[in-house]
Amino acid sequence: MSVSRDDFSIAFRSALLQRGGAQKFSVLSLIFLALIIFFLDVYGAKFTKPVRGFLNDVVYRITFLASTPTRFFPQVSKDLSKYFNVKAENERLKAEIEKYKSLELNVEFLTDENKNLQKILETEYFNKNLSNVVLAKVLVDKNSPFLKSIIINKGTRTGIMKGMPVTHNNYLVGRVVETNYLSSRVLLLNDLNSRIPVTLDQGAQAILSGSGTNNPSLEYLPEDYKIVDEINVFASGKDGIFSPGTPIGITNLDGEVELFVDPNQLSFVTVNLSIQNLGKL
Amino acid sequence: MAKTSLFYKIYNAGPLLLLYYLCISEVDSNLEKIFEIFTLNFQIILIYFWVLKRPEIMANGHIFLAGLINDVVMGFPLGISSLSYLIIIFVGTYVRNKSVNTTIASDWFTFFIAMVFSNLLFFSLLNNFSDLDFSNSKIGYNMFFTLFTFPIFWFLFNIYQMTFIGNRDA
Repeated sequence: MSVSRDDFSIAFRSALLQRGGAQKFSVLSLIFLALIIFFLDVYGAKFTKPVRGFLNDVVYRITFLASTPTRFFPQVSKDLSKYFNVKAENERLKAEIEKYKSLELNVEFLTDENKNLQKILETEYFNKNLSNVVLAKVLVDKNSPFLKSIIINKGTRTGIMKGMPVTHNNYLVGRVVETNYLSSRVLLLNDLNSRIPVTLDQGAQAILSGSGTNNPSLEYLPEDYKIVDEINVFASGKDGIFSPGTPIGITNLDGEVELFVDPNQLSFVTVNLSIQNLGKL
Repeated sequence: MAKTSLFYKIYNAGPLLLLYYLCISEVDSNLEKIFEIFTLNFQIILIYFWVLKRPEIMANGHIFLAGLINDVVMGFPLGISSLSYLIIIFVGTYVRNKSVNTTIASDWFTFFIAMVFSNLLFFSLLNNFSDLDFSNSKIGYNMFFTLFTFPIFWFLFNIYQMTFIGNRDA
């Protein structure tokens, strides 16, 4: 009995303290070091923030370089298939241009009408200041089962701050949750930690909650509200962060929202800096 | 193969390079796009197998550093992945010290214990010291698929070991 206890304690101690050969550090010393780093990072000691920011900037750049081969081959096959479909694509685009030409007149009329109505209501016209938009490249798009986020190549140097909305082709994709000097992390709408106030076509208000899957879901809808498919979902702007009316997605029969932008296919995004200028954060 | 040859050194460094590459690159072992619930923690399989079979090619310091890089890329608090990987090393080294001969069944069972301890620490720390929310079902799927793909990688790594490095185990 005592022999087996001795065996246990010898093996246990050896596993924790063993060094020599290729092992220059014992597991125990590294556990202590990891705990120190963890608590310094979590409790945000003043000097750890710039160190973490510098580390982030360096590692994100290396990650971008290291991922180049994985981005190159899918892009080549995509380009090749595009090349072979060019004729059909051309015809489709011509038809689309004709359709949009007729719609353009309507849009012009509606825009003027909208501006006039906003003037009457003395509300703010959020999209007037286009110089407050920064275009950023997606550096890292690592698909984690637990955290849906992307890294962009613009940071505090460009004026990006925590909380700023991020869009792609004017569709909302998420918000900035971490800023470094040269890079930022954007929390996507489908992340489990993402909650934003939205409004539906018919005027109902709700909260769009990320579920960790591709399609976020709607919460806190009016009690008697029945979800039907193909209802447009927009940011309501009630949080003072997202511009009201920014399109997000469309509802489906499962009560989820299919995003207009596939969060896994982002290459470039735009960050709206107007929140900073409006002094809302 | 002579142990001093360049190829031998490259083959020896292979698992460690793969670990670093998985941590720093966009390449991930989550096939959610194909099958929505399929996610696995490949890094812990890699670390456990090589710590168990050839600890000299998986130095603790390198695994610690890979964990820090993983935290930066994934946006977790610094040190949390390192801690989780160190628990895997600890259990792997303990099992190695206690056992004379290992089989796939024993490795699989002890891997389960290592993974449970490692994930328990990882998610407890995240839950208590960060604002991140996690879905329990996602954690469950991740553990399930990590556990059930272990034998596949066990065979693949064994083939790699026998072909390129040479089998040293009893």
